[in-house]
Amino acid sequence: MIKVKKMGLHTFMAVPAFLLFALFFIYPLTKGVQMSLTDWDGLSPSKFIGFQNFINFFSDDRAMSDIKTTILFAIFSAPLLNIIGLIYALLMNGEFKGKGFARGIIYLPAIISPLIMGYIWYFLLQPERGFLYHALDLFGKSSLLGNWMGQYSSAVMVLVIVNVWQYAGMTMVIYLAGLQSISEELYESARIDGAGTWQIFRYVTLPLLMPSIRINIVTNIIGSLSVFDIVMSLTGGGPGYSTETLSIYIMRMCYGSKTGYSTAVALILFVIILIPVTASMRLTKSKD
Amino acid sequence: MKRVMALLLSVVLLAGMLTACSSSTSVSTASESKASDSSAAQTTESGTSAATTEKKGKVTLTFFTGKVETIDVMNEIINAFNASQDRITVVQEYQKDASNVIKIKFASGDVPDIMTTYEQEYADQGKYLDLSGETAIWDRLIPSMKVNCTDINSGKQYRIATNMTMAGLFYNKTIFNELGLTTATTWDQLVSNLQTIKDKKPDVTPWFIFGSEAWHLGHLIEFIPHGYLKQKYGTLEIKKAMLSNDQSILDFGSPTGSMAVFAQNLLDLKDKGLINSDVLTATSDNCVQDFATGKAAMLSNGMWVLSGILAANPDMASQIGFAPYPAYMPDSKPVVLCAEDSGYSISAETKNPQECKEFLTYLFSAENQKKYSEALGAPSGFTDVDAKWAPEAIVTEVNSALKSAVNIGFTNEKPAGFTGDDAGRLVQDLLTGKYTAVTFAEAYKKAWDAGFGS
Repeated sequence: MIKVKKMGLHTFMAVPAFLLFALFFIYPLTKGVQMSLTDWDGLSPSKFIGFQNFINFFSDDRAMSDIKTTILFAIFSAPLLNIIGLIYALLMNGEFKGKGFARGIIYLPAIISPLIMGYIWYFLLQPERGFLYHALDLFGKSSLLGNWMGQYSSAVMVLVIVNVWQYAGMTMVIYLAGLQSISEELYESARIDGAGTWQIFRYVTLPLLMPSIRINIVTNIIGSLSVFDIVMSLTGGGPGYSTETLSIYIMRMCYGSKTGYSTAVALILFVIILIPVTASMRLTKSKD
Repeated sequence: MKRVMALLLSVVLLAGMLTACSSSTSVSTASESKASDSSAAQTTESGTSAATTEKKGKVTLTFFTGKVETIDVMNEIINAFNASQDRITVVQEYQKDASNVIKIKFASGDVPDIMTTYEQEYADQGKYLDLSGETAIWDRLIPSMKVNCTDINSGKQYRIATNMTMAGLFYNKTIFNELGLTTATTWDQLVSNLQTIKDKKPDVTPWFIFGSEAWHLGHLIEFIPHGYLKQKYGTLEIKKAMLSNDQSILDFGSPTGSMAVFAQNLLDLKDKGLINSDVLTATSDNCVQDFATGKAAMLSNGMWVLSGILAANPDMASQIGFAPYPAYMPDSKPVVLCAEDSGYSISAETKNPQECKEFLTYLFSAENQKKYSEALGAPSGFTDVDAKWAPEAIVTEVNSALKSAVNIGFTNEKPAGFTGDDAGRLVQDLLTGKYTAVTFAEAYKKAWDAGFGS
């Protein structure tokens, strides 16, 4: 009887949270799924068209190219963010003069709007008129700067580098927090047992950093697969649609009076993100 | 005790949420009743608009615009209008991406009362108020403005355009005079001119194209191959052909058609180094700067670029030449864009159509239109407005170009799913080497056709 009363009270206390969850998550998701099955253009009454939007997506060359670009960007960006963030964290975890300043400098790009960051890099890298071109020109080396944003392969790499440069500091902060929570005693006992630097890192630091690794992997996969602003400001998805990512495609389809279709693509992107996120969660959990 | 407190807090939170919902309902009910009051006032209106407004109380109208260059002058006119009476307040809303933002506004029901954006699909859906009966305004405008504002499908006018804009090839007269060049009337002459500039002035870009901005490349298609079609078949015929996707007239995919020849010409210019080598990354600002400082001899653009060039170098006023796009097909003639600019539409859903018209009448007064045209740098379409919209030397150049070439208008009849920006992105792909001239024409036709299906 007491148990039932307790259950009732607990259930009642969960009601506000559930209402908020239902209002801001379940309702939009349900509405989104419903909308993705229609031909709604944002204005006229919609018509149920089944899975036609999904079929159209997979038969659209531009959409397939966007999937390729998005995945390619994430494949390079997410691991690089983690590796460079971890290296930064290991370096910044030591004791040296100016540590706070160095940490601040590394973190600084993360607090600047990615749109502004994109424009800054655009003006730095612009061939024949950017800052880097003029700087290299002083040494007669301006030919080193190619038209990197005007070609697909190099433009994607520029996007990856700018993204990593901007967000590695954020990844570093999470790793730093993880590193600082590892007890010094564990390192001491490892040293007493004769472990070298690599062994300490491999068998003490890395396993105990697993929660931080998981957070960073998941957030970087989500961030990389849903990248929008840096691409928008740096290449605008061009030349052509070659560097267009799925997030930009969704926005353009929505503005192009294809609201139902863009919702279907948003759901596809959700699944594309969910697969690696779930896989990495499981993988890092088993490593725990 | 803790449990009681937790229970109480939960109840308070839940009650708070419900109260918030209920109060929001009451607010919307209040506004609904207000709205129904005002619509009731509208349906029973029989007297003057002032009498109607008195029933409604003070009316606020939203004026939505995407024209950044007119924000200040419009604010000035709006402030004067708001101060001139106490029944109507007009509020200006500017959005950089206005043509897209308006779609969101229509979709969400937050439709502005007056807007400068105009889309064919919304005209088809009856989203604009019919302005065909505004004879007092139409009678003051030159006849071609009414023709340009006429919706092909319904034959009605859902917008009133007040100004004209022209687009063509701007050139540096000093460079042309120095090299003894005259403006080209054929594509071969144009290439010859560009080659001379390249040979004699290696530091000068013969023709600057800012291809990082897809709309600019889309405009090249709009003015050159589409321009050819408009010149060949006439504006009305080509509008009908575009609306019905009549490929027997448009012929976009043909390997010898206007699109393929345009693409080949552009590729030739690139291969010969007659356009800037950073075509794919250059911006509009780069173009203006290079032209204003004499580093570029030619550019393609509309009159809206003038203010930027003159701001960068006021001494350029006497050096700016303006020429039509040369003929580039065997049976073509030079063309120059002479289209309507600054069109105003009223939402069909507005609760205050009379007040909207009252504001537009004020805005269209000769005094305000003179001010507006001079700020915009575009000639007025009103016959009673004498505006000094550009330095005299440029006005002479423009008038001469208009007389020497076929005047074409903008294409508003493109398929909904294929914008000028999309067309420009295809040109970007052409310039990266993704397409040959023939495959470009095929891709253009495919994208155009797909745009109708969306």
